Amino acid sequence: MLARRILFSVPIFLVTYVLQESLFNQVRLPGGGFSIFLILTLVWAALSTPEVGAVTGFGAGFLMDISQNSDGPMGHWTLIMVATCYGIAFLAYGDDRSRANPLTTVILVVSGVFISEVIFLLSGALLGVNLGSFGQILTTLIGMSIWTLIVTPLVLPVFTKIHAIAFDLSSQI
Amino acid sequence: MRYGGDSRSRLLLIILVVSALFLITLDLRGVKVLDGLRSGSQTALSPFQRAGNAVASPFKNFFSDVTHLGRTRNQLATLKVENFNLKQELINRKNADAQLKQFKSLLDLAGTASYKILNAKVISQGSSQSFSQTLTIDLGTNSGIKKDMTVICDSGLVGVVKEVFPYSSVVLLASDPSFRIGVRIAGSQQIGILTGQGSRKAVLQLIDNQTTLSTGDVLLARGSLQNHPFVPGVPVGTISSVDNSPGAIAQSATVKFYTNFSALGVVAVVVGAPATDPRDALVPPKPHPTPIPTVTVYATASPSPSATKK
Repeated sequence: MLARRILFSVPIFLVTYVLQESLFNQVRLPGGGFSIFLILTLVWAALSTPEVGAVTGFGAGFLMDISQNSDGPMGHWTLIMVATCYGIAFLAYGDDRSRANPLTTVILVVSGVFISEVIFLLSGALLGVNLGSFGQILTTLIGMSIWTLIVTPLVLPVFTKIHAIAFDLSSQI
Repeated sequence: MRYGGDSRSRLLLIILVVSALFLITLDLRGVKVLDGLRSGSQTALSPFQRAGNAVASPFKNFFSDVTHLGRTRNQLATLKVENFNLKQELINRKNADAQLKQFKSLLDLAGTASYKILNAKVISQGSSQSFSQTLTIDLGTNSGIKKDMTVICDSGLVGVVKEVFPYSSVVLLASDPSFRIGVRIAGSQQIGILTGQGSRKAVLQLIDNQTTLSTGDVLLARGSLQNHPFVPGVPVGTISSVDNSPGAIAQSATVKFYTNFSALGVVAVVVGAPATDPRDALVPPKPHPTPIPTVTVYATASPSPSATKK
């Protein structure tokens, strides 16, 4: 069962990562745009157990760390994503009302994006990452959150369905 | 019921966090393996990024263009103005280059004859309404220009100063029908009177009827008393055709001026004549004829079919 889940999940994350790095990053959207890979990871975590969420966050964070677009040290995103995904999974897991409600998932994902970016900024400042001006940071933070709020409801049914197939669950949003 | 977590879950979380911290520590300590991971991922992703760029190129700046439409329009307008200014600058530069070339030739001419000159720009061509051929230059009495001074250009005689104002002067062109100048033929030193005809052609009438004229003879200004209005030695033109009509009192010829009066940009006013007559020093060198290559084609007739048949 575990091998099946991993074999099913890993290609999905890899394909999304490649799409993010090769296609979505090239489209210049106002306010910084969105990360489809980050949305997938957070949706995945919101629909999984905290353990799976943490492992998902670890793997996704590691992929984000090895990206050329990452300025921080290796492990920076890994740490942030482990914490964020575990937190989101912890908040969502066991609460069937929130899990059945797509709005909760969207809010969790948007909050996750915002919080992970804020943690990245704060920890990046400690680790000596060049972050840019305050105005630029604020614009990117707000812009990314808004874009995530727009995109997540559009992709949520697809990601939920894939997650349900991977984990053999009948509950779908 | 909300998930409360258990020891296994916490252990996993601790292991993952520690692993992440371990990665950060390794990276900050400069372990090369981690740098290799990043460059390896980039190597693997680069073909996909190239493909993605090709796919995204039509619309990747769409949102940016839409949001910056006003700014783009302003930028376009600024660039159009800039382009126009640059084109004007290029035209001015070309004009300046041409004028510089003319000035250089002019200085060579004046230097050879030891004329003291003042360079002037042509600021206006005379109106043809009054049928007189004049031009206006940007020097006047304030620059030391006086009436009846010779005006030359890089190729020879232009005319004579007709009217003088504080900051400009009107020059009567040698092509004007009312223009008269005493000339001599370079070499033979025969003298005659040249009269403008309203074009680049003029008519020469020799004073001595025994002299023989020939096409291509060079005419130079003979010079006036006290060098006003004409200084001696200025190239005027060449004889283009000779009128040998029998019974004519004086021999005449058609002369082509050296100066192209319609293309004058810069001229010089001779303010000081040379101490001695330059004689034929300013005769322009004869142009060397360019040999025209001739091509001879040999054609050999092919045997007719009837000749081969028996």
